[in-house]
Order: sequence, then C-alpha cells, then structure tokens
Amino acid sequence: MKIAEHDIRLVKRVELPWWNAALISIFSIVVALILFSLVFVHSGVNPINGFKEIFQFAFLNRNGLPLTINRSIFIFLCTCAFIIPYRAGLWNIGMAGQLYAGALGAFGVMYLFGAKGDPNLYIAPGIGIPLMMIGAMLAGGLIGGIAGFLRGRFNVNEIVTTMMLNSIGFWFVSYMVKEGGPFMNPVGRSESFDLPVSVRAPLIFGIPFTLVVALLLAVLLYWVFAKTRIGYKIKSYGHNPLAAKYSGINPQVIPVLVFVLGGMIAGLAAYHYFGAVPGVFKVARNYAEFGDLSFYGIICGLIAQGNPLAAIPISLLFGGLTNGGRFAQGKLQMGFGVDYALLGVMMITMVVLQFFYRYKIVWIKPEKEISDVGIIR
Amino acid sequence: MPTDNQIKKNAVLEARGITKRFPGCCANEQIDFEIKAGEVHAILGENGAGKTTLMNILFGLYQPDEGELYFDGEKVDFKSPLDAIKKGIGMVHQKRKLVMAHSVIENIMLGHPHAGEILNFKRVKQEVTELCEKYGFKLDLNAKVWQLSEGQRQSVEIIKALYRGAKVLILDEPTSALSPPETRNLLDSIRTMAESDLAVVPFITHKLPVVLDISHRVTVLRNGKVTAQFATEGATEKSLAKSMVGREVIIKLDKVEVERGKPVLEVENLSAYSEKDYLALKGVSFTIHEGEIFGIAGVSGNGQEELAEVLAGLRSATTGTILLDGEDITRNSTLERWRKGVGYVPAERNEVGSIADYSLIDNVAMNYYFEEEYVPRGVINYKGLRELTENLIAEYNVATPGPDVNARALSGGNLQKLILARVLSRKPRLIIASLPTQGLDVGAIEFVQNKLLQAKKDKAAILLISGEIEEALSLSDRVAPIYEGELMDIIPWTDAERDNVGAMMAGIKPKVESL
Repeated sequence: MKIAEHDIRLVKRVELPWWNAALISIFSIVVALILFSLVFVHSGVNPINGFKEIFQFAFLNRNGLPLTINRSIFIFLCTCAFIIPYRAGLWNIGMAGQLYAGALGAFGVMYLFGAKGDPNLYIAPGIGIPLMMIGAMLAGGLIGGIAGFLRGRFNVNEIVTTMMLNSIGFWFVSYMVKEGGPFMNPVGRSESFDLPVSVRAPLIFGIPFTLVVALLLAVLLYWVFAKTRIGYKIKSYGHNPLAAKYSGINPQVIPVLVFVLGGMIAGLAAYHYFGAVPGVFKVARNYAEFGDLSFYGIICGLIAQGNPLAAIPISLLFGGLTNGGRFAQGKLQMGFGVDYALLGVMMITMVVLQFFYRYKIVWIKPEKEISDVGIIR
Repeated sequence: MPTDNQIKKNAVLEARGITKRFPGCCANEQIDFEIKAGEVHAILGENGAGKTTLMNILFGLYQPDEGELYFDGEKVDFKSPLDAIKKGIGMVHQKRKLVMAHSVIENIMLGHPHAGEILNFKRVKQEVTELCEKYGFKLDLNAKVWQLSEGQRQSVEIIKALYRGAKVLILDEPTSALSPPETRNLLDSIRTMAESDLAVVPFITHKLPVVLDISHRVTVLRNGKVTAQFATEGATEKSLAKSMVGREVIIKLDKVEVERGKPVLEVENLSAYSEKDYLALKGVSFTIHEGEIFGIAGVSGNGQEELAEVLAGLRSATTGTILLDGEDITRNSTLERWRKGVGYVPAERNEVGSIADYSLIDNVAMNYYFEEEYVPRGVINYKGLRELTENLIAEYNVATPGPDVNARALSGGNLQKLILARVLSRKPRLIIASLPTQGLDVGAIEFVQNKLLQAKKDKAAILLISGEIEEALSLSDRVAPIYEGELMDIIPWTDAERDNVGAMMAGIKPKVESL
C-alpha cells in the first residue's frame, strides 16, 4: 500500500520482545473500549461516564475491589489450568468439570472430618486447610487425568472428553448437594453444608491467602517452563510431538502429566472460591456460574500466549470487567447482558489484534532500504 | 521494453530484472532469464541461492519488488497462482498436493473447467487418456492415489498441470523420489514434452547428471544472483558444480580405509509394520562393525524408513532382535537407546529432527536434556548448553547469526549440519543416518559426507540410508539394496556395480553370478 511517498508493508516479526506484546495488548484494550463506546452511545449513556463507573467500581471502590481480586484469582487459576496443557499443544476446555470435582474434593475432606451439620466443629486450621487444598487438587487432577490418559493412550480428542467431563461434573455436584445428597446443606437450600468456622481461610487485608498461592504459582510455572527439564519436555511435545518422540520424550506420558497438573490447579481454583473467599464457604447454589466463569481462563491463556506472568494483569482486567460491568449495568440501568457484551468485545479485539504479535507494519520512506529484519521462508 | 521483445521472439516466459528482497535471506537480485518453447531449462543453485523464491514468483505466490515478467511477449502481473495457472504455467511441487483417497482422474479434474458442475467423467477421461499417450505416461486413471508409488503420483501432478493447459511446466526437484527406471521414464516424457513445444523448467540442485542428460540450457543462481547461463552442451559435472558453489568441488570421494572392528549392531530377522498397517519390513538381518559404513540403498517407501525407526526405538518390532554391543535393546525405549549410544539423524529434518520454533540452543538440547551434565537435578544449565551450541556451530560451519535464532530461520543444509553436529557430538556407537544429504547443495553434501567418514575413523558403526546409488556406493563399505522391505543382497563395495545395485533397488533379483 502507498500513502503519499511512503510505502507501507506488513512484515513478519522474527521475535516479540515482552514490552512489545504488552504495548499491543494495551492498544487492543483501548481499541475495544472505543468500539464498546458505541454500545454506550446507543443506550444513551456517555461512554466516558460508563467506563468511569465500570473501572471505578472494579478497581477503586472499597466494596468492589475485593470482589475484583477474588474473581481475578479465580480466573487466574483457571488460566493456569488452561496454560499447562496449552504449552503441550493440548486444549483444556474442562476447567469447569475439574473445578466441580475440586469443590467436591475439598468438601469431601471436611465431610470425612464430620463437618456436615456442625459449623462449630474445631479442626486445626494448619491441618484442615492444607488437607482441603490437597483434596481439591487430587479430585481436579483425577478428572483432568482421565482426559489426559485417553489422549495419550488412545489419541481421543481432549476437547471432546473435557467438555463431556464438564457435564458429568456438573450433574455429580448437583447430586451431591441437592436434596438428599450426601453433602446437602441441612437447611436444604440446594447447596453444600457450611465450612466450619475454624478452617475458613486466613485473610490478608481482607483478601484470602490464596492470592499469595496464585502469585507464587505464576512465578513457579514461569520458571518451570523457562528453565526446567519437565518444562522443556512439555514445550517440545507442544511444538512438535514427532520431534519430541524422536528425542526420547514419551508421547503417552506428557498428556497425562499436563492434564493432571491443569486439573489440580482448577481444583485449587475451586478451593479458592468455595473454601476461601469470605462470605461463601460452601459449594454455592450458583456453582454453575463459576463453571462458566472458568472459561475466561481459556481466553486469558490465549491472550497471554501461555505465559503465566502475563496472565496476571490479564486475569485482573477480566476479573475487574466482569465485576464492574455488572455493577455499571445495574447502576446505569442498561439492558441485560451489557457486561457480557463488553467482555465479548474485549476478547475478540484482543485476539484479533494478536495479529500484530506475528506481523508488524513497516513504513518505508522513499529511497531507503528496509531497516527491519524479518525472515520469510 | 520493445527492444528486448524483438530479441527474444520465441521466448514463452521472460523474467527481466526480477528483484525480491526479504530482509535477511533468500533474495533475488536482478534476475534475467527467458524460457523458450521446446526447451528444457534447468535452474541450478545451492540451498538458499534463491531458487524457491524465483519459482514462487514465476508461479504467482510472491510478487517481485522490482522487475517484470513477460508471457508470450506480453507483460503479466501474477497476483496469485490462479493468475499464473490461467496464463499457462503449471507447477509440480516437491511435496505432493493430491487428494490421497481420490482416484487419479478425480484428482486431475479437480478444479478443471471441463469437469463441469455435473461431473463429465467420459469427456475428461478421454482427453486425459490422449494426453497420457502423447507424453508416454502409463497410469491407471481409476486407481486411488494412495495406491500409487511416489513417481506415479508425480506423473499425476504433471498430467494435471498439462491438462489445465500448461505451456510452461515448472518441476521442483522432479527426480528426488524416483527409482532409476522411473527417472528414465520421466526424462523420456520430459523430452517428448519439449519436442511438442512445451517449455519445461526443472529445478534441480544436486542431481548434476540429470541436468547434463536432459536440459538444453542452464541458469545458475548463487546468493540470489544469476552467476552463469550457458548451453548444457559441453558442460561437465565439474564445471556445473564449480559455477554453482563458486569453487572446485570434489565429486568423487576417496575411500577411507578403517580396520573393521568388532560388531556393534547385530540385527536378526527384524520385521515391522508401517503407519498404514502393512508389513513394511520383512525379516531383515545384518551386522555392522566398528569403523564400518553399511549402506542401505533404496527408493523411499521400501521399508528403510521403518528400519531406521525400529532401530531408533520409534517403532516397535514385530519380530526379531536388535543387539547393540552384544546387549539386547529390542525392547528399550527411545531414550534408553540414546543413552546407550544410538544416534539417529532422521530424514525429515524439519518434521522430526528439529523444532522450528525453538532456538538453536533448545534444538541442541533435544539430545542433551536428559544428561545430568547439562540438566543437573532437573534444572537446565543454559550457560553450558549455549557454550556447547556455539562450539557446534563453529565446528560445523553452521551459517547463522547466532545460537538464539529459531531453527526455522536456517536453510536446509545448515539445519542438517546442526542436527548432525548435535547427534555426532554425543559420540554414538551406532549412527543411523537416514537420507543425510537429501535436498542439500553440493557444498553441504561434501561436508556431511566428510563428517560421516570422520565418525567412521572414530570407530562408530554407521547405517547409511540413501536413495542415491552414487552416494551409497562411494561412502559405504558394504551396500544392501532394499526393495519392499527385504534386503536384496549385501555386497562389499569392491564388488558393487552401479547398474546391478540400481536394478536390485527396482526389485530385480540379483543375478546368480553376482552372489
């Protein structure tokens, strides 16, 4: 294309420094907000006002911020549950099912302690809390492992199995917590029994300790993928399964490994929301909403390109938008689903503009060589 | 340019000053040439000399930055391959672009205007049969493509292009997957095509004898520029190689005499199934000793790929045993074999031998990630690996800006050097080298062959799988032609005759007196 004397061309990128990726992401957020302004204008709301409401509630409001952070931790953990198989070239669409299993695992541990029907039962938190987390992770890992095993051993498509396991998980939770189920709340409100007060998670400035767990996990995963043998094997399998097999990496083991790990982290997300977020402390009646929320892990993982550190700000953004969007919709009396529309626009824009992760626009001044280095084969 | 037009009256396709810049690599600079009707015009060049780029420009896949293309004297501007096809340019790629599950005739009529909305098999069949007869292709039009040999599949693509009305036919490395008799048939067909005033351009890198045999003129590319253009008459293999590489190239290797040591690899009655579940390897037995190169000569698809994979542990053996230094490794995993001293250089260097999106360091790690020396307690020592990679790059003259670039950026020859460097640096007892020089240019071939000979001097046992009789004969101490999963014979190089080996590769049983 030519504009005046300048020649504009698309050039393939050779490498993408992290700050470029960050700039592209910020640019796509801005574009998404501009696009979404049309929705505000259409509803007769001043866009600046609308966005102010969303972001103020999500990130600056004393009531809104903790909600945002709790959601973001949840979304971040689901993102990690997606990222690990994603680095092995596999798609975990089953965070919801793994999360349901994790919830049952965590409350199953408490059930064994006899916590059902006795919210005042004392269990030493130093034992009870780790055991709940382990229970959640084992159950999530087990469900994930089924998909991984079927993929590794029989080459069954993991997208299909994880989706089907989501349904199984959903109905199994329903069976467990609804009328007559073993985990039923004695008061009978189609939710699980309450968590004993003694094993409710410790808070740091009103935020559950799982925040620290999530941040540590981000650093750990980043390190695992950058520096360790196991990360190298997973990445190799993800880039090229044939080459991985050639170099002696067992192609049956890797899918199991990544899905067990992913499922464990999804289980942890369940522990976070149902066992650690203040005011919940049970498998809530609306647990399916969290199953839906877990799908944001996919989009965050894709936007972060599988980088667990990059997933932190992205999870925070999406956590904030789900939260602030809902608030603004109510306050500004906009139509149903406006918050989802905002998330949708954001997702599509970010994914589409990832085009610039691979290409860049180069201006060529007349009578000058291309200074940029790109390799096309 | 009217003056040029006057000079090149009978030129079908002309390129004038074609320049294509890719920042970094594979550019074309001011390329001029023309193809006349009835001419076989070979384009010769090393890997990365710009052949592929030029070919893609002629076929409309790329648009040149500068320069013009003329077709029948008229300036053309190909925006896409469709434009080129419409003008009458046909292209047969090195990789087949056919629907395997469909029959020959279905593949040929796919996308052809005569096919019609309601398929008119009768008309198409008749027209295609005429074409086949005219150019001497023997094909069963109702056979499914997956049943055909590689050579027959190529013929299907050639006929497909001719049937679409190609006046210029571009063939990319057309003889690389063919057996000697198939090659002969193809060359005969090409001659017939040229006689009927079609222009044919085979892009050939390393089969210099073929160039000499068939082409009328040669254009030599080096570093994206035309360095020579001459009539083939009077040229020799040596002169072609020299203008291609820019220096003298030793075409015939001297035998390296190494005293044969104790047996390293003993294979007994080994069989294996292929990917498609037929018995591809049928009970082969042989032994390779220290300091010996054992050549398996065969046209691809005759079980040699399966043999290499079974030995490397990538495919399980249905019968038979594999002994490495006397130890049974038949049931060992790939990783255990790497550790015990098996080194595999796969034929598919892009698909199997390397990871395109990995840096060269991570590619070297493919054979080192399991070594405590480089990965102590599960944490990769990238400093050590970087040093190792830099040393290998220097020792093997891998042309690269540095160890951090992705393998994708390397040309085929350089990638092969890197893979070879990585595998040989492990000092393996057994080296399985599958088509190690396929698709490489003369300079790189020389380098790879010398490295294999060096390994032989270092007392390694080498299994060389080759599709080129010359290579198999000149490198190997003993040669075994393979056909349909069986070794036809095992011949010491002193007794091996080119024609005899070629015949056996094509499935003709050895004569009694040669046994």
